[in-house]
Amino acid sequence: MAEMIRKSSVDEVVNHWVLAGSCLLLMITGFAFLFHLEPVGSMFGGFNTMKDVHNWGGVVFSLSLLYSMKHYLADAFEYDADDLQWFKVAGGYLSHKVTVPPMGKYNPGQKLYYLAIVACGLGISISGFGIWLMKDDSTIMLLSHLVHNIAFCVFAIAVPVHIYLSTLANPGTFQIMVNGKLPLALARKRYPKWIKAVGKM
Amino acid sequence: MANENNSRKAILVTPELCIGCRACQVACKSWNQLPAITTKNNGSYQNPPDLAGTAFNIIRFNEVPSKDNPVRWLFVSRRCMHCDDAGCMNICPTPGAIFRTPEGAVATNSDKCIGCKLCVQACPFDVPRYDEQGKMSKCHLCFDRIANDMQPSCIKTCPTGALKFGDRAELVTAAKSEGYSTLYGEKDLGGLGSVYAFKEEPNLYGMLENPRIPSSVVFWHTYLKPLSYIGLGGVVAAAAIHYLAVGPHKDDKEV
Ligand code: HEM
Ligand code: HEM
Ligand code: SF4
Ligand code: SF4
Ligand code: SF4
Repeated sequence: MAEMIRKSSVDEVVNHWVLAGSCLLLMITGFAFLFHLEPVGSMFGGFNTMKDVHNWGGVVFSLSLLYSMKHYLADAFEYDADDLQWFKVAGGYLSHKVTVPPMGKYNPGQKLYYLAIVACGLGISISGFGIWLMKDDSTIMLLSHLVHNIAFCVFAIAVPVHIYLSTLANPGTFQIMVNGKLPLALARKRYPKWIKAVGKM
Repeated sequence: MANENNSRKAILVTPELCIGCRACQVACKSWNQLPAITTKNNGSYQNPPDLAGTAFNIIRFNEVPSKDNPVRWLFVSRRCMHCDDAGCMNICPTPGAIFRTPEGAVATNSDKCIGCKLCVQACPFDVPRYDEQGKMSKCHLCFDRIANDMQPSCIKTCPTGALKFGDRAELVTAAKSEGYSTLYGEKDLGGLGSVYAFKEEPNLYGMLENPRIPSSVVFWHTYLKPLSYIGLGGVVAAAAIHYLAVGPHKDDKEV
């Protein structure tokens, strides 16, 4: 067995799946509301129950989103010259011949993804509570409806990209969100600055 | 337009002929088995003061004194307009809660309604109200009656012809030939299913000028809705192409 290193704590892994599970549930039920997908409604026993599932799923999502800040928010605000260079080579995703600069624990794509999730997640949560609980205030309702749907577009685009990049596009990444670990040798290649910082280079 | 067909029915309201007897209000309650509501005197004969969960139509009592008539009342029947481009239907997240009948009525099914109250935000005329269970309720053009070749209850009871029901195109032509120069709702929102025949300016009767679905709702309907699924489909396709054309990072194999 190759030597492993822990990238994500158990706490982080559990919260990720609560966040991801509730988010996907909300996106599926949200799509069903938007496009009147009756088969999806039937899976929940009708649109009335699906509304409850969506609303309470929203509570879980909101709490989990707030908790995730403990794990990622500080990192997501730190950028250096290598991060800039990373954008210039498009993270090495468009060609395998370019040299990708040394990365820390998260690459800038992941950090920006997190900031987008936080911003749109807060937007979609607050507006969701607005539509749910402040039905009689017309300004809040119209504004919330708009914000909820703008944020939804961001989710509909960003989440599939995230899923692709953390599974098929980067073999070995998915298991970080399963047992929190990856082989030390792989980590040295992918996240040299982080490994240096924890003294395992 | 979806309902520019010959089968579209409409209500023609001719406020000039209305005597304010409110038989239509009673007839609607009777057919729909709606209870009366207790209201307070607020200085007007208009009662109830506005549409309510159990009041699908009301007669507005507009007090508009003129030179030769210091106590002139202008009566106008207020109810759902059965818009062709209906904001309530655009925004409703629940299939079947609001539906269009073959006659062009915008009808409701409270079993399906989830009570989110989005429809009231998108209605230019502030029509949707809610029943005791929190489900949307409004005039449904007696869709059950008209599907069986009967007149809507309120129309049947009107003693003066201020309310008429029939083929929309015919009603419009007839009203014009009788000298009603302004037909409110002939063109608005794709054409309303409640058309009002006036000889004077509609705003004298308190009609809403330029009814519009709120611009944020229109923006959402025309751009955001398509963007969400085109965006999703686009990135899934892009991911598939990327996987085939460029391929995954292989650094896990080289370690
Ligand atoms: C079922 C689909 C999903 C899979 C397979 C997946 C997988 C992963 C993996 C493997 C990581 C670790 C990446 C690393 O440490 O380098 C990760 C991180 C993360 N995931 Fe997911 N995820 C999924 C769905 C979601 C959803 C729906 C959300 C959104 C709300 C989400 C939000 C995050 C966040 C915020 C991180 C932190 C790191 C970053 O910013 O990229 N994930 N995910
Ligand atoms: C990732 C998170 C979420 C996604 C992707 C999402 C998506 C959607 C979508 C697409 C719709 C239908 C759009 C419309 O008809 O306006 C919708 C409706 C709605 N959402 Fe969300 N939503 C999320 C979170 C929330 C949260 C956190 C809440 C509340 C706490 C919430 C409450 C509502 C409400 C009240 C509606 C109106 C329909 C209904 O009452 O169920 N949503 N959501
Ligand atoms: S008047 Fe309002 S409730 Fe009636 S069809 Fe038009 S938008 Fe819907
Ligand atoms: S309150 Fe009912 S009818 Fe109105 S938008 Fe919501 S589900 Fe549709
Ligand atoms: S058409 Fe029917 S539901 Fe509408 S106001 Fe008349 S009686 Fe009531």
